[in-house]
Amino acid sequence: MSTFLQACVNGLLMGGFYSLMGMGQNVIFGVMKIVNFCHGEMLMVGMYLTYFLCTTFGLDPYLCVPLVAIIMFFLGAVIQHTLITPSLGTKSFTNLLFLTVGLGLLLSNGALVLFGSEYRTIPTSYSQVYINLGPVTLALPRLISFGVLIVVSIALFAFLKYSTIGKQIRAVSQNPVGAEVVGINTKRIYILTYGLGTALAGIAGALLTGFYTIFPTAGASFGFRALIVVVVGGLGSIPGAFFAGIFLGLLETMVALFISPSYSDLIVFVTFIVILVVRQLIIIRRK
Amino acid sequence: MSEKRKAVRTYHRNLAIVLGILLLIFVCIPLFVKSPYVLNIFVLVFYMSTLSMAWNLLGGMTGQNSLGHAAYMGLGAYASCLLITKAGINPWFSAILGMVIVGLVAGIIFYPCFILRGPYFTLVSIAFGEALRQFIINSAFFGRASGVGLPFGRDSWLNFRFGSKIPYYYVGLAMLLLVYLLMKKIERSKMGYALRTIREDEDAAAAIGINPTRYKIMAVVVSAMVAALVGFFYASYIRYIDPELMVLAKSTESVLPAVVGGAAYVEGPLVGGLIMIPLSEFLRAKYSSILPGINMLMYAVVLLIVIRFRPTGILGWYMHSKLKTFVDTKILRKPPIEVLEEVELAKMSGKE
Repeated sequence: MSTFLQACVNGLLMGGFYSLMGMGQNVIFGVMKIVNFCHGEMLMVGMYLTYFLCTTFGLDPYLCVPLVAIIMFFLGAVIQHTLITPSLGTKSFTNLLFLTVGLGLLLSNGALVLFGSEYRTIPTSYSQVYINLGPVTLALPRLISFGVLIVVSIALFAFLKYSTIGKQIRAVSQNPVGAEVVGINTKRIYILTYGLGTALAGIAGALLTGFYTIFPTAGASFGFRALIVVVVGGLGSIPGAFFAGIFLGLLETMVALFISPSYSDLIVFVTFIVILVVRQLIIIRRK
Repeated sequence: MSEKRKAVRTYHRNLAIVLGILLLIFVCIPLFVKSPYVLNIFVLVFYMSTLSMAWNLLGGMTGQNSLGHAAYMGLGAYASCLLITKAGINPWFSAILGMVIVGLVAGIIFYPCFILRGPYFTLVSIAFGEALRQFIINSAFFGRASGVGLPFGRDSWLNFRFGSKIPYYYVGLAMLLLVYLLMKKIERSKMGYALRTIREDEDAAAAIGINPTRYKIMAVVVSAMVAALVGFFYASYIRYIDPELMVLAKSTESVLPAVVGGAAYVEGPLVGGLIMIPLSEFLRAKYSSILPGINMLMYAVVLLIVIRFRPTGILGWYMHSKLKTFVDTKILRKPPIEVLEEVELAKMSGKE
């Protein structure tokens, strides 16, 4: 029973990261209808950024979170302005797809060239502190990360729901032409959206560094899981993405607990294919 | 009329001569180049370009951007390797069997997935490739993560096993040419037109009586079979395969020559492969000890530059460049397009 509870909590904590990644991907996918295949690499960039902020300025990893978010926002905005917006005009889905794939290659191999393939960690005074909650043991960094995650998710939800820019983003994602007609500058919204998406990935990366190793391909598995979260949680739905991420994290740990850890990836991918097909079948039925 | 016909005939003759010279150069390379390193790069160009052409049938021509071609290639390699080592079947025969198996698997798995469009199809192809790889890692029959090796031994054509690189060079070249001709044939057939119509607008294609699902299944099966053939060639060449063959990065690598060369053209993957792979191998050999990943970094930079500034690829740029006008008028003596069409029409009516 205690192992089951422990697995539940671990799944929940990991699922939080999938949720956060999924939300970033969801905003980008919802507004521009492109799949951001370098989302996982953005998380990796966020991890390295945190690492260098921590080692050169001696900052605490959690204090780096807002800084990383701001830097990543500008990185995303620059990428959107110089690369993606011009290619959006060509309407070629293949090109847009391989643009983000190429960006992912650029970032992960750039990190490999610059920093080498060694694994890095950020040692903190509290990284080995564990908290006992009844039958469950929790590492303190995981708990803090999860807390920050919840706060960021709620803030994002409120931002998209109530702020003017959030309303504009939702308007563009529902109908770009209509949004342009009512006077919304869609190009600006695209830049803001992509910046927001990469900032969220960067936050996830910064929060991960507390208990995760940093290496050039660290983001790959998170990147793909973010896509699963978007599809399962539904387009444009922040609560949907949140719960889908938690579900995914729980599914992984449950498979690892009840079947075998080596099967968890297999089950995740097969479940994803089944969900995709069933979802599409339901959509076709409704028509 | 006879003058026009003569002009067209001269053009066709010039085209054949130029292509023949190109082919002759490739056939003669092993006679002059003895370095195994250089020959290895050529073999790499041949099989990667073939794989890229397989992708191009599905991605470039049909508009279904698959990112799972390494999985078909890996599955083909596994199927033929296991048939050789476990069932003792002759390699050439097992290559054909492997292609059939992979074609069937792809057709059956993707039949329900073709209701998915655009990015969803890409996602499912990634998930399929990853699921297959995880399945192989967990299966004792497939040798788990340690992979399968093919037996070494004396050189023999019967067992497709050589110590030297030259036979692989010729078989690779032949494979490339055969697949190219097949793709060219498909492009000009009814199927090719149907696939391009589906790429432009699937609903419109369905409205004019093309069955999108049927044609997409045909495309995915042919594409997967070609990838399986490449897998067989790879396994026979390297003589060892493991699940790492099927990672997403390999699928991406198989698409790059097509996108850089020009995904809308059958020749795109050839051009992209011939330019990009030697460059990448050169960088890998020269700098990988001090700067690992530099070759893929270069790939990424070239890919981004091509997509940003020449969205139709190198061939797309060539098609509208002055170079092509020069080649067409001065070297090939191509008659104007109206003349070509007129002669073609006259020929067709003459036949009837």
